[in-house]
Amino acid sequence: MNTKYFLALGALTLVAQAAFAQGTTQAILAKPPKDSWPSYHGDYTGQRHSALTQITPQNVKNLTLAWAYQSGANAQIKASPLLVDGVIYFSTPDNVYAVDARNGRQIWHYTYPANKGFHIGSRGVSMYGDWLYFMTPDSYLICLNAKDGTVRWKVQVADAAKGYWTTMSPLIIRNHVLVGVSGDFDNLTGFVRSVDPENGKTQWKWDSTPPAGTPNTTTGGMTWMTGTYDPETDTVFWGTGNPTPVLNGASRPGNNPDTCSIVALDPNTGTKKWAFQASPHDTHDWDAVEIPVLANMEFGGRQRKLLMQASRNGYFFVLDRETGEGLVSKPFGPVNWSLGVDKKGQPIPNPAKDPASDGRLIAPDEGGLTNYRSPSFDPKTGLFLVSARPSYGIYFNKPADGAFGWAGADYGVWSKGEIQAIDYKTGNAKWVHDLGGNGSGAGILTTESGLAFTGDGQGNVMALRTSDGKTLWHAMQGQSMQSSPITYELDGRQYLITSGGGVMFAWALPED
Amino acid sequence: MNLLPSISRLCTGVLITGALAFAQAPKPAATSATPAKTYPPELVTAGETTFVQHCAFCHGRDTAGGEAGPDLTRSKLVADDIDGNQLGPIVRNGKDAMPKFTVSDQELMGLTAFIHTRKAIAESQKGGRRGVDVADLQTGDLEKGKTYFNGAGKCASCHSPTGDLAGVANRNQGLRLFQRLMNPRSTKVKMTVTAGNQTLTGIKAYQDEFTVALRDSEGRYHSWPTSKVKFTVEDPAQAHVDLLSKYTDDDIHNVIKYLMSLK
Repeated sequence: MNTKYFLALGALTLVAQAAFAQGTTQAILAKPPKDSWPSYHGDYTGQRHSALTQITPQNVKNLTLAWAYQSGANAQIKASPLLVDGVIYFSTPDNVYAVDARNGRQIWHYTYPANKGFHIGSRGVSMYGDWLYFMTPDSYLICLNAKDGTVRWKVQVADAAKGYWTTMSPLIIRNHVLVGVSGDFDNLTGFVRSVDPENGKTQWKWDSTPPAGTPNTTTGGMTWMTGTYDPETDTVFWGTGNPTPVLNGASRPGNNPDTCSIVALDPNTGTKKWAFQASPHDTHDWDAVEIPVLANMEFGGRQRKLLMQASRNGYFFVLDRETGEGLVSKPFGPVNWSLGVDKKGQPIPNPAKDPASDGRLIAPDEGGLTNYRSPSFDPKTGLFLVSARPSYGIYFNKPADGAFGWAGADYGVWSKGEIQAIDYKTGNAKWVHDLGGNGSGAGILTTESGLAFTGDGQGNVMALRTSDGKTLWHAMQGQSMQSSPITYELDGRQYLITSGGGVMFAWALPED
Repeated sequence: MNLLPSISRLCTGVLITGALAFAQAPKPAATSATPAKTYPPELVTAGETTFVQHCAFCHGRDTAGGEAGPDLTRSKLVADDIDGNQLGPIVRNGKDAMPKFTVSDQELMGLTAFIHTRKAIAESQKGGRRGVDVADLQTGDLEKGKTYFNGAGKCASCHSPTGDLAGVANRNQGLRLFQRLMNPRSTKVKMTVTAGNQTLTGIKAYQDEFTVALRDSEGRYHSWPTSKVKFTVEDPAQAHVDLLSKYTDDDIHNVIKYLMSLK
């Protein structure tokens, strides 16, 4: 055999490896190829913005159903699916599904044993190599074989008997599987735990609040959404939830540091680099776990590494993510609980708007001006698209409510849904698309061709033009979308994935 | 309609006094000595498991309210419920912000048993109760409330204390009155649709960005694509919603105090 032949054989092997790649790698997670959506946000930035351009504002009116997958389960799909090597992986509480991304056929289905955890939602699985990572309602992390859904190992992340539960899709960075927890109904410490992907052993744990019972401190600060990551500075950005007791702030004086905050962590050690508190001394359940979206953009005449969050408390924040410095802090809807912002850009709560025995009228309500559903940032237009929910609620707290867990009562009185396109430089909305009654449960995906995909609260899935919010396509799915859309390209065809109830839908342009 | 006839057969054993279990029900039986049911412990335990999985996040692990969901121990619907005849349709069809759940008859029996048991326990507690009592909502100034009603609030342009609101405090109390003041959530919203040269008026049945629908005076359902018709919606509750951004907390407490005097 001559050298030429060897070279040709080598090239063939390389091609074969690329075409039949196995699972994810750090390179794929950092720069996903167009035929994959390998992590919760699609990539580490949290922009939920795709480079795909086959579906355009001109042809989107032709979008048609490619397939539908019926899970047959009661649970609504709240997961952002993964797409790796032509297979879609997603979850509902106690269930993981692998589905052929070309035709919607089920490949396997894993069922976790019945348990007493809160089954409020499962936001998706994560993948490293050939292994999937899935969090259970009773706070275990399960490692599954992506080929057949068999269990490789299972470790307890938190004690469900104490009141923790888990719903989030882990964030994977090199050999770290980062997991967070939920638990508002007990006075518990929130944390981010880094787990070894091979054996489930804990590498480090960062606590957002001191242990319960520490005098004059708070508990809470749950970490129930997937963070984002900047490889250039090797920094993780994570949102934390409200302090506990939730509606009674009297027992936890001060700002309650690192609750309702965006924190910057070192993924190797869990060491905190900085924190920005979206809601100091929160008494309204406004988790700041909404996606901390990362982008390198011009700001104030120079290129900066930015972090943007549309927060549940009603503020749109832009930070310098290298320092945590606040650059923009601006309400994006009715907000009546603050006295303005401090010199760091953190809102100052108005004590007169703390919950009281005779009730206080608060905007937004407890569900917030937005919630966990993904926003999307389109770098081309500089628009941050968010599903917003202007709302009012009434909040009560009295001594008999105690100082444990919820410790009060609150009731939403009115809300509506809208999609807002916020100019990241000013925090002002360039356009607002009314969605009518009922806030939408759908996240948003933007694409480089100038489209934004999302849903309303009635069950419609729709495509808007990113530049002006005009509706260009819609379809009624029968139940409102409770997940964030993704897109990928397979065999030269771009697919859009949405969900309604327990059904997953794939949309594409008609085949030639 | 009784969805769960078999519950009666299951319910034997010690009875809790009905005065406790139904203290807040509006019917005459509510304050009578009609005994409340007790339920077999295994049914209550099974119901608790289902409740924790699917209901506790919003309604609290003990049914006394949680994130967004109301306190079921004070719920009129629960007070009126007999063996799931009220709870069943709500669980299976949803209501307002509550999604629907697919549950078996056995699971629904468990849920019913657990909710009623927690209600009895909550009402047997001595001393101040958690949540919102009528007594909590007495901080306002009646005269100022009356002034606001006739003045800045413009309430008198639609309502009258001797007309539609006569005796309102006997029909709605406490939190329920508070919520209705903030937003009465009208179920009969007038909709007028003009399609071509025909105009139809009725009660709004549906509206989103793409479709509107109404029921005509005979109860018949009609729908249209929004792009093909002109339509108007007159929601009497909108005046309440418009006030949300204008109220002070004092305004609200004063108006409630005034409304609570209309007996």
